[in-house]
Amino acid sequence: MSEDNDQKKPKSGIVRRDFLKAGAGVAGGLLLSGGLGFSRLAQAAKSYPAIGNYPAGIQGSSVFMGIAVPRTGPYSAQGEDEIKGYQLAIDHINKGTSLAKAYAPGMNKGMLGKTIEFGIADNQTKPNVAVQAISKFISDKKAMMVTGSVSSAVAIAAGKLCDRERTIYLPAITGSNATTGKDCQRYSFRACHYAYTASKALAPVIKDAIGSGKKVAYLTPDYTYGHSVYNSMKEFTEAQGWTTVNNQLPPLGTSDFSTYLLNIANSGADVLVNICFGRDAVISTKQAKQFGLLDKMTLVMPYMAPFFADEVGADLLQGVYGTTEFWWTLAEKNDMAKAFVDDFEKRNGRKPGWSAHIAFLQTMLWARAVQDADTFHPPTVVGQYEKGNTIQTDIGDVHWRAGDHQLVRPVYIIRGKKPSDMRNKEDYYDIVEGVPGEKVMPPLSKFGCKLGPVS
Amino acid sequence: MSMPSLPLFLSQLFNGLATGLLLSLISAGLTIIYGTLGVLNLAHGALFMVGAYAGFMALQWTGSFVLAIVGGMIGALLVGLLMERVIVRYYYQRPPEDQILVTFGIGIVITELVRLIFGGIAKPVPVPSWGEGITRLGFLFYPNYRIQMMIFVAVALLLLYLLLYKTRIGMIVRAGIEDSLMVNMLGINVYRIFLLVFGIGAMTAGFAGIVNAPILAVTPDMGEPFLVMSFVVVVIGGVGSFPGAIIGGIIAGEIISMTSMFSSAYSHVTLFAIMAVLLAVRPQGLFGIEGRE
Amino acid sequence: MILSRLARYSGGRPWVAELITLIVLLLCPVVLPLLGVSADIASRILIWGLFGLGFDILFGYTGLLSFGQAAFFGTGGFVAAFLLTQTGLQDDVFLSLMIGMVAAMAAGVVVGFFTLRRSGIYFAMITLAFAEMFHFLELSPLSAWTGGENGLTGVPMPIVGFENWHIQISSGWSLYGYIAAFFFVGYVIAHRIVLSPFGQVLTALRDNTPRALATGHSVRKYKLAAFVIAAGYGGIAGGLLGVLQSYMPPDAVAFHTSGQLVMQSIIGGAGTLFGPLVGAALWLGMQDSLQDVPAIASAWMLILGIVFVILITVFRQGILGAVRQIFVARVPEAAQAKTELSAEITRRHHVTGVPDEHTNLDEVPDHFIRSDVSARQRELMIVPKGEASDGAALSCTHLTKHYGGICACEDITMSIPEGQLRGIIGPNGAGKSTFFKMLAGEVVPTSGHVFLHGADVTGLGVTAVSQLGMSKSYQINELFSKLTVAQNLAIPVLARVRGEFRPDMLKSMDKVPGLHGQIEATLEMVNLEARADVPVTELAYGEKRRLEIGLALANAPNVLLLDEPLAGMSPRERADTVKLLKQIRSGRTLVVVEHDMDAMFELAEYISVLQEGRLLAEGTPQEIKNDQRVQDAYLGGMEEV
Repeated sequence: MSEDNDQKKPKSGIVRRDFLKAGAGVAGGLLLSGGLGFSRLAQAAKSYPAIGNYPAGIQGSSVFMGIAVPRTGPYSAQGEDEIKGYQLAIDHINKGTSLAKAYAPGMNKGMLGKTIEFGIADNQTKPNVAVQAISKFISDKKAMMVTGSVSSAVAIAAGKLCDRERTIYLPAITGSNATTGKDCQRYSFRACHYAYTASKALAPVIKDAIGSGKKVAYLTPDYTYGHSVYNSMKEFTEAQGWTTVNNQLPPLGTSDFSTYLLNIANSGADVLVNICFGRDAVISTKQAKQFGLLDKMTLVMPYMAPFFADEVGADLLQGVYGTTEFWWTLAEKNDMAKAFVDDFEKRNGRKPGWSAHIAFLQTMLWARAVQDADTFHPPTVVGQYEKGNTIQTDIGDVHWRAGDHQLVRPVYIIRGKKPSDMRNKEDYYDIVEGVPGEKVMPPLSKFGCKLGPVS
Repeated sequence: MSMPSLPLFLSQLFNGLATGLLLSLISAGLTIIYGTLGVLNLAHGALFMVGAYAGFMALQWTGSFVLAIVGGMIGALLVGLLMERVIVRYYYQRPPEDQILVTFGIGIVITELVRLIFGGIAKPVPVPSWGEGITRLGFLFYPNYRIQMMIFVAVALLLLYLLLYKTRIGMIVRAGIEDSLMVNMLGINVYRIFLLVFGIGAMTAGFAGIVNAPILAVTPDMGEPFLVMSFVVVVIGGVGSFPGAIIGGIIAGEIISMTSMFSSAYSHVTLFAIMAVLLAVRPQGLFGIEGRE
Repeated sequence: MILSRLARYSGGRPWVAELITLIVLLLCPVVLPLLGVSADIASRILIWGLFGLGFDILFGYTGLLSFGQAAFFGTGGFVAAFLLTQTGLQDDVFLSLMIGMVAAMAAGVVVGFFTLRRSGIYFAMITLAFAEMFHFLELSPLSAWTGGENGLTGVPMPIVGFENWHIQISSGWSLYGYIAAFFFVGYVIAHRIVLSPFGQVLTALRDNTPRALATGHSVRKYKLAAFVIAAGYGGIAGGLLGVLQSYMPPDAVAFHTSGQLVMQSIIGGAGTLFGPLVGAALWLGMQDSLQDVPAIASAWMLILGIVFVILITVFRQGILGAVRQIFVARVPEAAQAKTELSAEITRRHHVTGVPDEHTNLDEVPDHFIRSDVSARQRELMIVPKGEASDGAALSCTHLTKHYGGICACEDITMSIPEGQLRGIIGPNGAGKSTFFKMLAGEVVPTSGHVFLHGADVTGLGVTAVSQLGMSKSYQINELFSKLTVAQNLAIPVLARVRGEFRPDMLKSMDKVPGLHGQIEATLEMVNLEARADVPVTELAYGEKRRLEIGLALANAPNVLLLDEPLAGMSPRERADTVKLLKQIRSGRTLVVVEHDMDAMFELAEYISVLQEGRLLAEGTPQEIKNDQRVQDAYLGGMEEV
C-alpha cells in the first residue's frame, strides 16, 4: 500500500465505487461460492490437527462467539454499546448482507456456511470476572472466538488466557500501549487506536490550537491504560516544548475527584489532560468544571470516550480536543460507514458510539480472516491475519501489522462544536483530521512485543 | 514531590474537613447503633445506598431536591426499621459474630435487590439548581453544592448531638449504652428504644447517601467504600463513642486530603497505617473506654 | 474406658476420613464430567475449599471472625505470581507457591499482631480495614510488582516430576489433579491440627476465652498461631488461583473475596473443615447454573444472600452442620432441650432465691461428690518452685484496687500458710470478688503485691499464675459450652502438661503424657464419670457446678481458689461439697469465698472477714463468731444469711 493512497482523505467517490462493486457482485459471488464450497470440502478432507476448540467448536451448524463486556461499573455504557455493535455485525454476517460481503468478499450466509451464535457475559470491568466468564465460554461453549473489553486490564488478562487456550481473542476498546506491546499475544488482534497513536496524532494539533510552551496537568486513571496514555502524551507534548507540571492518579472507578482536582487547581497548569474514560471521564470533567478548573485551563481528552459528549453536554465540550476511533459523521464520506450508521440508528434509535463501531469492525475483520483462511483452524486464521493484506473498511483501507497484531488504521482528531453550530442533538464534534495509521505507528521495538508460538 | 504551597495546603485542609464531616455523619450512625444495641451493622453501607436511591426516586417524582432529601431519609428509615423488626431484634442475645454475619447478609440482600430493580448502571442525581456555581473563598474555588453539603452535614450532626445529649430519649439511649439491663429495670421498654435508635442510625446513613448523591455515582455498590471508611473512623475514634465518630471522621478526611498533596496513591494506605499505629498505642481508640469490646 | 472415650472424640482413626477424602477427590474427574461439571469449576471449588480450611480453623474452631482473609489470599497469590512471571523462578511452580505461602504467613504475623489485640466486632472491623489496606497497596504503591489494576498475567503451568521423568500439567483435569493434591495435603494437615491438643485448645478458646486463659493457656499465642495458619492456607490458595487462571487478578485482594469466603463457610457449615468447600460448591454451582437461566440470571447473588441470612438466623451450623446433627447426634434434640430447660429452671431458682429442689426432669445423683476417691490426682500436682520465708503459700501486701474514683479494695495484707484452708467472708460489696481476682491474677492491683510461694506474681496475669500452680473456680459457671465433660477437663490438663503454649499441631491427643489419667482422676473425684461424653449443654445445674470445680482441680493446683463453691446447691449437695473440699485440701492450700457461714465455720481453719474493701478481722472460726465487729457488719449489710 502506498503512502499517498492511505493519506488520501476517504474520497466518497472512490469508496462508493468499491463498495458498489462488492454489492453488485452478488451474481459473481454466487459463482464464487460454488468454488468456495468445493474448497471447503477439500479442506475437510485435509483436516488440520486439533488445537484449542478446533475441531470441537465447529461440529455443528454454528460456531460460538463469546462476548464479555462490562455491563456494570464505570464503563458499562460503553459495554452496552459494544453489545449492540456485535449484534449488528452478527446479524449482517448470518444474513450475508451486502455490507458483510463488503468486509469479507465471498461470504455467504454465515461464516464458511456456519451461523454465529453468541453468549454475553458481564465482566464488571474486573479482569478476574472477565477471565472466569471467558474460561466458561471456551470450556463449556467451545467458543471459536472471544471478544469484548473496555478496560485494558481486562483486555490484557483475557488475551493471555485465550492465548493459552489457543482461542482467538479480539479486544474491543483497549487504549494501553501494552496490549500490542509487552503484553501482546499471538492470538489477539487490536483494531482500535491507542495511547501512542492517539498522542502522536493529537499533540501537533493541540499545539497549533492552544499554543506553545504550555504547562500541562494530567488526570490519569491508575492502571495500564492511564499510565500508557500519560507516558505517550508526555513524550509527544514535551517533545514540542510543553512542560508537565502535575499528574494525579485516581483509581479506576473513583467518584469524588475533589482531592485530585484541588492539587491540579494549584499546580499552575494551563492545560488539563483528562485521561479518564467512561463514567470516570464524565464525573471528573463535571467536577473539574465545579471546581473552576475549566475556566483557567484548556481541557484535552486524548482518548475521548463514547457518550462523553451526551453526558457532559455540549456547553462544556466546546473547543475541547480529543481523539476517537470513529465518529458517526464519517458516514457522510464513506458508504460502508453510512450503511453501518444508518442500520445502527434504525435498530437502536441513536447514533453508534465508537464502542459499537469497534465491536462491529472487529467482528467483520474476523469474518474476513476466516473467510480468507477458509477454515476456523486457529493457527491458520492467525496466519491469515498476519499476512497483513489490505482490507477495505468503513474507516478506509487498513491492514494488520504482523509484528505486534495492531491494525494500522487512521486516528480521528475531533473538536467539540459550538452548541449553536450543532445540526442535530448528536452533532457534537467536528472531525478535524483523520491522521493515517502509518504516520503514527510506533516502531515495532518500541513497546517490546514478543509474540509467542502459534501452537 | 516538593512542599505544597500554602494555598494548596489550605485548600486541601478545607476539602479534608468536607470529606471528614461526611465520614463523621456516616460513622455516627454506625456508632450510635453499636453503642446502644451492641450490634455492628454491616448493612450500614447498604442503608447509605438506599438513601441515595430513595432520594433519586423522590427526585424523579417531585423534581425537588429538598423532597429528595426527605425521601432518602424516609427510604433508609423504612428499610432500617423493617430490618430491625424482622431480623436484627432476634439477634440481640446472640454472639457478636452472628450479628456481624447477619447484617453482612442483609447488606448483600439489600444491595442485590436494588441492583435487580434499578440495574447496575449509575443513576444520575444532578446538583440542585440552588447548588450550582462556584464560591470563591480567597484563593480557593469551591463548588457551592459542596459547601451547602458541609452545612447540611454539620446541622445533621448538631441535631444528633442535641438529640443524644439534650433530650430525655437521648439520656435513655446513652444510659442504654452504659447498661441496657439497668434501663430495662427502670421500666423503660428497651426494645422500643432499640428500634428508635436503629431507625435514627439508618436515617443518618440515608441522609448522608442522598446529600452525597450529586457528587457520587449512584450505584448499588456505592455504600461499600463508605462502610469500610466508617470502620476506620470508629476504630480511630473509639467504637460506640459519638464524639469519637466526629473527631475520627475529621481526622480521616484530613489524612486523605493531606497525604494526597504528596502522593494521591498513598492517601488511603496512610490512613490505614495510622489506624494500625493507633491500635498498637491505644487499642480502644481515641475516645473509647478501656476494656470495652 | 477413658481411652476409648478420648479416642472417639479425637476422631478415632483420623486416616479413615482422610482416605475417604482421597477417594472422592480421585473419583471427581470420572464422575463430575457426567454431571456436567467442568474441571475449571471443580478446581475453583477446591481452591476455595483450601482457602476455607484455614479460615475454618480460624473461625469455626478458634471463633475468630475475620473479614480480611483476602489480604493473605492476595499476598500469597501475588508473591507466587510475581516469582513465576517476573523472576527466574518460572519453572518452579511448587517452590513459588511455597514462598507465597510463607509470605502470606509473614503477613499474617504482622496483621495478627495488630488485629488480635482486640476481639469480637473490633477484630472483624480491623481485619477488614487491613485487607483494604492491602488492596490499596496492591493497586497502586506496589503496582510495579503486582501489576496494579492489571494483575499479573502469564502464570505458567506447573511441571511435576524430576529431570527425566516429568509431566507437564495443562488446563483441565490434569490441573485439577495438581490442585487436588494440594487440597488433600492441606486437608490432612488441617484435620490433624483440629484433632491435636493444639486444636483442642483452640476450640476451648472459641467457647470461653477467659476460662481458657485462666486454665493456663496463652490465648494470645494460640490465636496468633491460628491466624498465621489461616493466612498460610489463604496464601497457597491464592497462588493456586494464579496458576489455574494463568492470571493473578487484583480483585483477589478485594473485600468481596473475604466476604465470599465468610459466606461460603457459613453456608457450608463452620467448624466442619469441609463446610467452606460445600459452600463454595453451592456458590459456584449456583453462579454457573443460574446465570444460564435468563429470568433469574441477575438474581443469583440475591438468592444466595437470602439463603445466607436464613441459614444464619435459623440454621447456624450450615449444611454440613445439619448433616452432622442428623447422623451423628447421640441424644435426640428434644431430650437435649429438656435438660437445657431444667438447667435453666434450676438456675432461675437459684437466682431468685427459691430453695433449689431437684426437678424431676433430670437426675442428679444422690451423692454429689464421691468420698472414696483415690489419691491418684495428686501425681501431677505442681511442686512449688520456691518457698516463702514465713512458709506462706499465698500472701499479699497492701493490696489496693481503685476503679476510677471508686475504691474496691484498700490496703489488704494477708498471709495464708501452706496447707491451710482459709475462708474469706464478708457482706455483699465487701470487695471479695475483686480481692480474689487480684490474687488469681485476673485483675492488676492499683498498688500492693501478691506472692505465691514467696515469688512476686503481681501483674503476671492469670495464665502465668495458673502455670505456677494456682487455679480458681468461679462463682458463675465458666465452662467450655460446646465441648463434652471429658473435653472440658482436658483443657486445664493440657495447660498443665504442655505449658502455656505448644505448637504440637500434628500430635495425637493419645500421645499427650498423663492426660488420660488426670482426666479420669478428676472425673472420678467430681463424680461425673457417667457423664464424661455428654456435652456440657446437656448437664443439669448441679453437674455443671461440679464440673466447674473439676476444671479448677484438673489443673492439679497447689493453691486452689474457690469462689462460692456452694452457690445454688441443695442442702445435700452442700454437705457433699464440703466433704469434697475437705478431701481435696490434703497437700494443697485452699482459699474459699463463701456466703454459707455454717459451712464456712465447719470447714475453714482460719477466716478473714472483708468489709467495704478492707480487712475487718482475722481469726479462727470461733474467734470470728464472737467478734463484735463482724457481727455488726453482718447485721448491718448482710442479706443472705
